[in-house]
Amino acid sequence: MLTITNTSENGSHILALEGEVDASNSVMIDEAIQKLIGDGSKSIVVDGQKLEYISSAGLGVFMSYLEDFEEKNVDFKIFGLPEGVLEVFKILGLHQLMNIYPTKEAAFNS
Amino acid sequence: MLLAILVWLALLFVDLVRLFGILNEMDSGIAIEFTWILEILFFLMVYLFYSYSISKNAKNEFINLIWRAASTGIFAVGVSALIFLFYGSISESRLSQEPFLRNLFYHINFALTSVFLISSALLWKHLILYQRSKRVVKQWQAYEFAMLLAMFFIFFNQNTLDYSFLFGLVLLVGLGIVLSGNLKWIPYLTFKEKWKSLLFLSIILLSCTFLFVQMQGYTDQVIYPVNLTDNLFLISLFGFIFSYALFSFLVTLFNLPTSSVFEQKLTEAISFQRLSQSIKPEENEEQVLDILMDSCMSATYSDGAWVEMGRNDYPEGFLIEQFLDSETRKELSDLIEESKVAKEWISENRPENLSPLAIRLDHPKFESVLLVPLIINKVPIGRMVLCKEVKDGFNKEMMNIVSTFVSQACISVENHRLLNQAILNERYQEELKIAQRVQKALLPTTLDHNSAFDLCAYSNAADEVGGDYYDTYKLSEDRFVLIIGDVSGKGTSAAFHMSQMKGIFQSLIQLNLGPAEFFIKANAALGKCLERNHFITSSIFLIDTSNKTISHARAGHVPSLYYQSQSNKSDYLGIDGLGLGILRNIQYEKHVEQKTFTYHSGDVLVLFTDGIVEAKNQKSQQFGFERLRTLLEVYHELSPIEIQSKIIDSLHSFVGGDIKIDDDYSLVVAKFN
Repeated sequence: MLTITNTSENGSHILALEGEVDASNSVMIDEAIQKLIGDGSKSIVVDGQKLEYISSAGLGVFMSYLEDFEEKNVDFKIFGLPEGVLEVFKILGLHQLMNIYPTKEAAFNS
Repeated sequence: MLLAILVWLALLFVDLVRLFGILNEMDSGIAIEFTWILEILFFLMVYLFYSYSISKNAKNEFINLIWRAASTGIFAVGVSALIFLFYGSISESRLSQEPFLRNLFYHINFALTSVFLISSALLWKHLILYQRSKRVVKQWQAYEFAMLLAMFFIFFNQNTLDYSFLFGLVLLVGLGIVLSGNLKWIPYLTFKEKWKSLLFLSIILLSCTFLFVQMQGYTDQVIYPVNLTDNLFLISLFGFIFSYALFSFLVTLFNLPTSSVFEQKLTEAISFQRLSQSIKPEENEEQVLDILMDSCMSATYSDGAWVEMGRNDYPEGFLIEQFLDSETRKELSDLIEESKVAKEWISENRPENLSPLAIRLDHPKFESVLLVPLIINKVPIGRMVLCKEVKDGFNKEMMNIVSTFVSQACISVENHRLLNQAILNERYQEELKIAQRVQKALLPTTLDHNSAFDLCAYSNAADEVGGDYYDTYKLSEDRFVLIIGDVSGKGTSAAFHMSQMKGIFQSLIQLNLGPAEFFIKANAALGKCLERNHFITSSIFLIDTSNKTISHARAGHVPSLYYQSQSNKSDYLGIDGLGLGILRNIQYEKHVEQKTFTYHSGDVLVLFTDGIVEAKNQKSQQFGFERLRTLLEVYHELSPIEIQSKIIDSLHSFVGGDIKIDDDYSLVVAKFN
């Protein structure tokens, strides 16, 4: 089960993810990000505080937008990932390529 | 039959002897009861013969049954008419006064009349019991029993016309009339058969009347010493045969005008049955639509019709036309498009709630049409249009029956589609099994190693095919490569990427590259063939048994576990490295590391995929890195295959015996000597 809540704050779009991301529902994230890019958003922040699990397919979604973000100058940030989930990002090496912050404040003040 | 004739001959003989006796004023010594017994025997024989002969031809059509009765009637009447004529021609001669001859003919007439009556009664029985219910069967049995009693009645009243005779007659005729109400076979006759049966029934009525009148004629004459025909049995049988024939005649006559309606209903029932028979897989739904159109046309007496299917199911369009050309159809379609009623009908209802709509059209030929939507699974798949040359040609009953036909046909089509889908699925399952075999063959059957280390490996896919991969390669006598990989996602797409990965890895290994260099090259190659949101994680180990060194690199894969015999500790080999296919440009070089260390005897290297550490139990807890690490510390002394099975057993007992692990997982264990 995955719930995505879309809010907006200080000109940034916040995608709050709640639950587990696997192959079956990773499409939801893909669609959400796609829509924000399509709408011309320049700052996308993912709130991962309530993210319990992410599978390789879920990681694949974030990974696939890395080049788009760079091309379109989109500021992409993730914050609040629980330890287990952060570990998955780290093992794959994504933490070197993405802006991952421990808290919301850290994300917005950087 | 032979027995019946014998009995009749005996009867004749006895009566002639009696006559002889009376004429010569002698007592022949034969009691009158003897005649009656023979008469009863004769009735019974005829009854038995006919019930046997009719039940043998149980498949008799109604019309044949009636014909049988009618033909017997004609025969009996014909014979007695001949006798009558015979007497007419010899009325002047002495022969006409000869009592023996007269009695002989009387007996012949009596026998034929009885045969006619009894056989007809049995045929009526067949008709009455056509749709048998308990009540009717009871009634019939009572009647048969009463008739049997009537045969013996003659012993009690000595052939006189008294009140008991009249009472019995009224009772039996009454019963016969009650039975005559059972005419359920008539509606099943076709129009033509009804005419035929009217003819036959009138023949029966006439013969019945003729024979009855003739018999009454005999009664008054004194010349016949033995009265066989003033018998309660025969007279009441006359009553029954006559009343049933009369009832049948009248009912058939009045049924004639409505018989076409009944036939129509029967056709509808048959059409319905044809529609509801599920289509066989090799047949197509067009046939069902064809049957549907034909049935609906005949049910509504339409003059033309067509069926058109939506573009979703038939990209090239599908159309059947009946009794109209495509030009007329186009004109009608346009008129329907313009029709206000049709527009409202479409806009006001949701597609799944549409019911047939009859509208008037301003068209030179067809003045009314019926629009019928075809709906499967709440999705409209097309429509049928029935056209009539008269105004307001569709009544409520027609629309109801058309709706029923359509919904049945739609169910048939849907069943047909589901069946085809099921067959297709079956085929996919078969294909997947083949894919599974092919993929199993991609994993090595023998693992390359030398005496310096032992090796074993295991892989399990969550679906039929998976994205896990491991391989070994022998570079030289003392240099070996161990590699493990995992494609993101699972199932068929993962399996395809896995086979690409194997191809690329196998080619690159032969170039004798260092671990980091190997991944840089692999990333470049995979970046070109992986789908955008897919990536691969992998670890590579180069084992040099002459130097006792291991150099390795990690590309986003779960860190491998290493047990050091010197410190008696196991730990994960932490080393930085980005997954393959994530950065598809030259920048990847910055994100991969390479390390080399020396191994010692008793060290154990465990390569695995994330399916193991991420396996969850019912409480949603993961198996985790720590559990795996402790296991190796406990079981490091065992052989690689034993360590492997300990890990897998422990994984299964953690997850719970009945639960399937919902991810691919693989394990490679190497132990150094």
